This record gives sequence, C-alpha cells and structure tokens, in this order.
Amino acid sequence: MNLPNYFLADLPPEAELTSVMVSSACDTLKRNREKYLRPRATDDIVKILCEVAVEWLKPENRFRKLALEFGPLQTGFSRPVLEKGLDDFFRRFTPENFDALLKQEFGSTQRLDGFADGALVRAPKLLVHIAAGNLPNPALMSLTLGLLTRSAQFMKCASGASFLPRLFAHSVYEADPKLGTCLELAEWGGGNADLETALFAEADCVTVTGADQTLAAVQSRLPAKARFVGHGQRVSFGFVAREVLREETIAENVSRAADDVVAWDQNGCLSPHCFYVEERGEVESDKFASLLALELMKRETVEPRGEITIEESAAIASRRSLYESLAAHRGDVKLWASRNSTAWTVVFEHEARFHFSPLNRFVFVKPVAELKDVLKGVDEITGKVSTVGIAAPPETFSELAKQFAHWGATRICPLGRMQNPPLTWRHDGRPALGDLIEWTDIEL
Amino acid sequence: MNKELSSFAARLREGISNCQFPIGNFPFGDFALELFALQFENNSAYRKICTARNLTPDTVKDWPQIPAVPTSLFKELELTSLAPAERTTVFHSSGTTEQKPSRHFHCTESLAVYEASLWENFKFQISNFKPIAAVADTGEQSVIGNWQLAILTPSPEQAPNSSLVHMFEIIRQKLGQPDSTFVGWVDAEGAWTLDFDVALAALTNPHSAFRTPQLVLGTAFSFVHLLDFLAEKNLRLQLPAGSRVMETGGYKNRSRTMPKTELHTLVEKFLGVPRENIFCEYGMSELSSQAYEVRNAECGMRSFQFPLWARVRIISPETGREVADGETGLIRIFDLANVFSVAAIQTDDLGVRRRDGFELIARAQLAEPRGCSLMTA
Repeated sequence: MNLPNYFLADLPPEAELTSVMVSSACDTLKRNREKYLRPRATDDIVKILCEVAVEWLKPENRFRKLALEFGPLQTGFSRPVLEKGLDDFFRRFTPENFDALLKQEFGSTQRLDGFADGALVRAPKLLVHIAAGNLPNPALMSLTLGLLTRSAQFMKCASGASFLPRLFAHSVYEADPKLGTCLELAEWGGGNADLETALFAEADCVTVTGADQTLAAVQSRLPAKARFVGHGQRVSFGFVAREVLREETIAENVSRAADDVVAWDQNGCLSPHCFYVEERGEVESDKFASLLALELMKRETVEPRGEITIEESAAIASRRSLYESLAAHRGDVKLWASRNSTAWTVVFEHEARFHFSPLNRFVFVKPVAELKDVLKGVDEITGKVSTVGIAAPPETFSELAKQFAHWGATRICPLGRMQNPPLTWRHDGRPALGDLIEWTDIEL
Repeated sequence: MNKELSSFAARLREGISNCQFPIGNFPFGDFALELFALQFENNSAYRKICTARNLTPDTVKDWPQIPAVPTSLFKELELTSLAPAERTTVFHSSGTTEQKPSRHFHCTESLAVYEASLWENFKFQISNFKPIAAVADTGEQSVIGNWQLAILTPSPEQAPNSSLVHMFEIIRQKLGQPDSTFVGWVDAEGAWTLDFDVALAALTNPHSAFRTPQLVLGTAFSFVHLLDFLAEKNLRLQLPAGSRVMETGGYKNRSRTMPKTELHTLVEKFLGVPRENIFCEYGMSELSSQAYEVRNAECGMRSFQFPLWARVRIISPETGREVADGETGLIRIFDLANVFSVAAIQTDDLGVRRRDGFELIARAQLAEPRGCSLMTA
C-alpha cells in the first residue's frame, strides 16, 4: 500500500513489538504534544479536522482511494458499504458541528484555549484507546475527539482492524505533520500483558470500546492515576408506528429500515436487531416484513454484504434452519432469505420478546399491538440499549421518544439514521468529551 | 406403539449387533429411506417440515436428500413418533442456564436401540480400535471385562434426563466392577460438579494394587475441574497400565476452556494415562449414536467417525450443499438409531470434512465476539 512508516502499525507484520517500543513511543508522543499540540488553538484544530474530512470526501483523495480499494479485503465490508459509511462519517465534520459539540460539552468553544466564564478544561496528556474490531467509525471518532482536546493519543487496534484508523491517521499527518506526530497506532491481540502494562503505565486516560469482558479486563489492570472510559456492548432496535404504515409512505419507511440494516452490514451497536411494527396499520406488519426482504434483496445487488467468517455464516444458517422449521408449523412465523448465500434474512415472528440477531443482515420483524408490548419485550435488555430508530408522524414522535427515553434508551433517532449519529452524539448516554477532560475553576 | 417402527427398531438392533463393525457391510441407504418413510408417516411435527420443503418419501430418492431438523427445534417442538403415554424417558440437552431444554423422548424400545448403538460402538473403542471380529478371536472377555470405572458425572439417579449419564451407566453395567462409581453430583443451581474426595478415592482405588485398569469417563469440563484440583493439591496419580480416559463434549461456560492438546497433556501428567489411551467422543442428547475420534492409519490425521448406522455430512452454511474434503461446514448427522424421533439432525457445530468423518472445530476455537454489539451464538 506504500505508506510511510509513521506509526507502529505501519511496520511489516513480521516486526515484533516490545514493551520498550511502546514506552518509548509514549515518551515521544508526550514530548510532541507539549511542542506541537498543546499550544494550538481550538479553531485551528477544527479547521484542520474539517480540511481532512473535505479531502476524504473527494473521489480522487488518495486515502479514500486506498480505503475503497483495499478496504473490502482488510475490513470485510464491500466497497459501496465502506463508501457510504465513510462519507456519512466525514460529512459530520463541519465547523458548525464542532462548535455545537464544544458548546454542548464545555458550554463554550473557547474553554480549551483559556478561561472563559470562570473555567477552563484540560485534556489528558496521553489518551490511550483500546479500539474494537467490528467497524471503523468509533475508532476514527475517538481519534478525532482526542485531537480536539489536544491529547497525545496511542490507539491499540484489535488484530486485523488497524487499516482504516491507520489511513485516517496518515491523512491527518499529511494535512499537518506536527499533529500527526502526536498520534500513535499499533495492532496486537488484546490481553498482551507485556505491551499493555507498558502502555497503561504511561496513560492518563484509557478509553475502551468492545465486549464487556474486555472492558472489565482492561479496567482491572489500570494504574490508579489513569481514568477509565468504557463503552461496552449495546444493542439497538427500531419501532414503526401504525400511522406510517400507509400505502403512500410504506416504501420510504421500508427503504429507511433497509438503510439501517445495510449500514456497516448491521455490525455496530447502533444497528437494529429487530423492528417492532405496530399492527392494524393500513399496511399490515407482515407486508412490511416482505417488503423489507424485497428491499434487502435489491440492496444486495448494489450494496452487497461483505465476506463473513464461517462462524458468522453458521450462526445465520442455524437460525434460518430453526425459523424455517417453525414456519412450517406456525402461520405466525415467516422467513425470507437470500438463496445460496446468507446475504440477507428477514424473520417475521409474533413474539414481542427481543431476540438477538446473528447480524450481518439478519433482522427480525415483530408485530406488536402497541408500545406497551415493545417495552415488555425488551425488558431483558434494559440498560443495554443504545439506539431506538422510530418511524412515526411528527405529532407522535416526541411522545414515543419520551417513553423510550424514560425506559432507558440512550439515543432516539428517525428510522434510517441509526448508524449515522451526529458529532454531538453522547455515546452510551455519556458526555462525548466530558468524560475525557478535567475542569479548572477560577474565582476572581 | 407403531408396529412398523417397532419392527424397524428390532431389525436395526439386529443389524447393529451383527454388522461386524467397523468393516462389515451395512445397508445404510435402504434403512435410511425406509426409516424416512416411517418417520414421515408417524411423526407429524416432522412431516409438516418435510412437506413445507417438498421433500417427501415420494420425492426423496437417496438418503442425503432426507430433510434434517435443527437441534434447536427439539426445544420448540415434540419431534417424536411416540404418543405421550408411550414416552417413558426424556433426555434434555446439557446446560443449566437454558430456559427451554431440548427434549428427546424415548420408550423402552428406543432406549434398547440407543443402548445397542452406544455399546457396540464403545466396545470397539475400548478394544483399542480393533475390529470386533479380531477381539472375538482373542477372547473378548479379556478386553471387555473387569474395568475399574471412575465416572466424572452425576449418577443416573441425580441426572435422569442426561443421555450421556445413561450411556455411562450402560457402560458401567456392561464392563465395570461392582464398585465402579459416579463421582459427580448436581449442585443447588443444577450445575454438574465433582465430589473431589470421592473422585480421588475412586482413582486411587485399592483395585489398582491388583493392576485392574481404570476407565475414566467424563466431559471435558469435568476433566478440567479434576485436573485443576489435582494441580492445586500437587497430586500426580499413576493409573494402572492399560487405563483409558474418554472425554466428551464442549465446555459451555462451565469451566475455563482448554485446547484439547493441553487437556490431554495434563491428563497424561496428572493421571498417568498416555496420550494414545485417551479417546474423544462427540455426541448429544438429540442423537442415539456417537462419533469417536480415530487416527487414520494412512495419513495420520485424526477425525471423528460415526458407526456404520450413522452418517455425517458437512454442509456449507452459505449454500446448504455438502462441502469438499478439507473444507469447513456445519455437521449434519443421519442417525438410524433415532428410530422414534428424527434421523436427520442438523447441528450447529462446525467441522472440517475429512473423508467420511470430520474434525471438530472446538467451540473455544470459534472467533471471539468482536466489538460492541451483543451477539449470542
């Protein structure tokens, strides 16, 4: 791929990382941060981040081209899925959105630069990220937020998952080499005690995204001075109100539901496992399911699902086989599935209880009489839900949102935007920047 | 009781007992099609599934076409030809946390088939992988008789719904000395655990002094528990020469997982049983026959093999077709001994096809869940 060796992750695969290399990288990062990053103004950093994003959105940009050319093999997502996901991500990078984020988090856009209205905020000197392997956006977002707060950053990518974070870091390096020298990326299998002890010893704050057991394992090994910010496992689902199940609006809503299933092949914690669909609409819930199946079939031709592992494929086949058999017995179970592949699956089931999907474009459609049935059905996953995507007319949207919010959902959005949160999104209901920084109050 | 199924069961038992396993001829295809027709006729839950797939005795011409049911369906439906009053025994899937266990119903006749199947197959394994004919020539009693058994599971009284415990009990009755014993028990949460004192007593039985070989039967997780205990107490046992160890089943979150080679190394170290005397079994409550891991004499490769009355096909999860030799897929078994339930069983275990057997991909080897979205297998 011919990228210069700026980062540990750029080293050839046979190069073996040592704890000395990790410690020394952390020293360099901290020194570079003092020289090149800490003195910078927030406006300046925002400008560079927006420039980087504008470049990524240009078809001729070399990092974008590399991402799309090698991405399918490196990440397991097809080119159109990568393209859509990356474009959605970089489109959020505007000065207005960054201003909104800073105001939301710090009450002012200036508090990183100096005292404003009696307070300033300070970022950790070295921010360490333990990134998850399933999709790239959270890793890119972590790096972005760290740059914004002007922390030096060391990102440990999951095995085989450093490709896009690397390209992003190189694009930052190209836009502003001094900023680039405040980033480090490396890739190793999680739990490497030698490397991680060296890394954690240097960290002021550690963010971890991934499985709950990964979070617990990292947290237990952090020195007391390092702050821990964990983003564990979450699931999401959709809700379609009967008012939008009309002949004239059904196609649009089905298309939005498909957008949410297709985005990142349903792999993220913002992707829906199921859609709860209200019964007694003008269009019935099983029709919604069959139209969704049709839509997923069409999408497969233009935004195909990526390659999946044999284990993922087996999980889908096993589930299909069960529902196919149940469908032979029960009129209230139906299955639509791609032929000769596991590319997409829709299971319609009169059972409000939430079921985990094996993902990779396998989605449940569950008819419900009313909202109360949904809340009962998702009772077992209370506290584990990120996003509820809602399709409802404007007059009922807010009321539904309120009910889901009080139940415990941390994000409500219109159907079709589940995998595309705004820059101001509070991950898992926690402040986007607030958990990373510390305040200094001044009394005059 | 359906007469035709009963008659089939009787003929199958005879076939199993007389087939000179593993080298004899066994009319598998004929048996399979006949059984499919009988199960289609007498098992209404299965018939509906076959009809929905348009695979009926009229359209199915060869045994690989016989529709398989997923193991998970045993939790949802009563996949049996037995009327409720005829069901004398039910085997549940292992695992203590499941809300809905698998249910495989049995009657006296179906248990007789299960017992014939498991015993003929086990007998071959314990006779050190010699064909039964060869064993008979040398006097079967010398190979089969008089083992001291230590069984690392709860007893049949404690675990009446375990097909594995039933199998161990049959083996105990057939070849164990009277004081052979079950050394596991069921704890308050319903989990299987070991009584370490009883286990130790069984493994250091005075019979050892007379060099009666020990046969230790257990699940992989029960061996991990035992080995952890022996390591903690710094106890290294030396079971008598000729002793054997049989381990079965996955871990299913009941102990720390351990790669098979490591488990076998530790068995060798702490029980003093050499690796060639450790054998592995693959079975489940939804089946009535088991596969054992054997080493291919020509290529040296190890693979699981079912007896002649059960066949395995490794199915691509993507296409639903059988994979080529050396490729990975889902394990599908056609077990004629499942006379009164369903013979064609689709498991959710992955295996690599090795000729007519398979190499099991241990659950612990499966990819770790990646990232932030919750998934359950």
